[in-house]
Amino acid sequence: MSRPRRERASGWGNTAFGMALIAPSLIGVVAFLLAPVVLVLGLSLFDWRLLARPEFIGLANYQDAFGDPTVGHSLLVTVLYVVISVPGTTVLSLLFALLVNRQLPGMHLARALLIIPWMATPVALGLVWSWIFDPARGSINVALDLIGIDGPAWLSDPRLALPSVAAVHIWQFAGYNMLFFLAGLQNVPLSLREASALDGASSVRHFFSITLPLLRPTMLFVLITNVIGSFQAFDTIFVMTEGGPGNSTEVITYLIYHKAFRSFDFGYAATLSVILFVIILLVTLVQFSYFERRANYEMH
Amino acid sequence: MRTSRSTTPMVIACYAVLLVGSALAVFPYLLVILTAFKGPGQLFSTLPWEPGVPPSVDAFDRLFAAGFGRYLANTVMVTVAITVIQLVCSVMAAYAFARIRFPGREALFWVYLSTLMVPPVVTMIPLYLIMQRLGLIDSWAALILPTALGSPYAIFLLRQFFRSIPVELEDAARIDGAGRFRVLLSIVLPLSRPILITVATLAVVGSWNSLLWPLIITSSQNKRVLSVGIALFKGEIGVDYNALMAGSLVALLPLLIVFVFCQRFIVRSVAVTGLR
Repeated sequence: MSRPRRERASGWGNTAFGMALIAPSLIGVVAFLLAPVVLVLGLSLFDWRLLARPEFIGLANYQDAFGDPTVGHSLLVTVLYVVISVPGTTVLSLLFALLVNRQLPGMHLARALLIIPWMATPVALGLVWSWIFDPARGSINVALDLIGIDGPAWLSDPRLALPSVAAVHIWQFAGYNMLFFLAGLQNVPLSLREASALDGASSVRHFFSITLPLLRPTMLFVLITNVIGSFQAFDTIFVMTEGGPGNSTEVITYLIYHKAFRSFDFGYAATLSVILFVIILLVTLVQFSYFERRANYEMH
Repeated sequence: MRTSRSTTPMVIACYAVLLVGSALAVFPYLLVILTAFKGPGQLFSTLPWEPGVPPSVDAFDRLFAAGFGRYLANTVMVTVAITVIQLVCSVMAAYAFARIRFPGREALFWVYLSTLMVPPVVTMIPLYLIMQRLGLIDSWAALILPTALGSPYAIFLLRQFFRSIPVELEDAARIDGAGRFRVLLSIVLPLSRPILITVATLAVVGSWNSLLWPLIITSSQNKRVLSVGIALFKGEIGVDYNALMAGSLVALLPLLIVFVFCQRFIVRSVAVTGLR
């Protein structure tokens, strides 16, 4: 009694059963994901404040946002955060993956230790790193003091606060992203992998001419997920600097939170989140097409 | 033998880099433990990485006097509720998407997948206004509902796994007279243990760590969760690093325990998603 079909045939009973199984998640997807996306677009066209009556104002919020130096500055801060944290995370995770991938004793332990930070509660992490960065008693400056260096005030110096906060992002996600590169390296054919036993110069060349191109799909995945994540950075910044000192770490998510839930200017905050959404989509698209073009170019 | 001669320094360099990397990954955890068990005086009389002798639980006394026990209980409750409900809803949907044929199924699945692109920040404001309209601000329902009714990502992972189970196994049980629900419970789920653990772990980590939504949707102290408690702690008790680290330890430790038990499932799930 072998059945050629892989799945149960359609029929009223099946449709009803299928819909019943899907119903709870469909309610969730529609009410809490799709409806909010539509609503946020609508909201951005309104002057919508806490107690006042909502008023339709067309694209005025967008005009305001494009002329608002606070928004421009916070987008700049966000881009800087992304530009520091994403390459840092990617390079480090790739390096870890290449090392852990070697068949040496102790590599399982190293892999496990390196991914621990990924799970850490970001808020708790923020506090821990505030303590590590503490100018007087923090681990970094105490250690620097031991070798005679007067360490800076990491989080209260406007020039150092953003790199410090971005460093925490790298610390948290380098190990986790290593796992993706490890999975990608498993796809590199064994015959090509054996060449990694070559000496220094040729193994470096081997890496750039053979291994790295083969890792391109993984690279695309890691870059895209990290860029999307970094554009939404909030938790650690909320705890470590609250956007300060001044507004040197005021990333766009923090500004949106502030406009919506401190100033209760929902319409304007919705506009900013739409702008953020569009930026994330565009950056993702650009990454996709760049990688695609590179792939085509190399095939010819 | 040019390979063996030149690989020895490479092996040493490899271990050196990984040793530094692992030490950096673990150090903040050690620091949390060391600081949490120091008395207020010991914070200033010892180096940050030295243990306080004798150890003191003073910081934990202050922590729980400030209502931290309640936050911890709330977080456990919310996390368990979200994880259990999300797992049930996701399994149901994923099984339908994998095995039950009905019109519009593929289109619906693509709609689910497309929601993965929506950043939570974007839905946060309308979601808040929806909850306000429903009169659910500062309620348990508002805290739990948005993530409980199934996660598209979990549904995606589960569907992929369900499709890899040979359909003949299910057919055999059906011929023996088992209902479709029985087949799901007694054939499919036992075979899906690894992916179920992965999905559950992701749900636990997600809801345990979540800050922004609980921060905006709850206001009363009896509904405050751990992440919000910690975030607001600095403002409420000041820069008391003993107590702050004790609070961080309470937040970090349970996930560390989850990690120790579920590490290989997490690694495997990454291999599954990363290869695509």
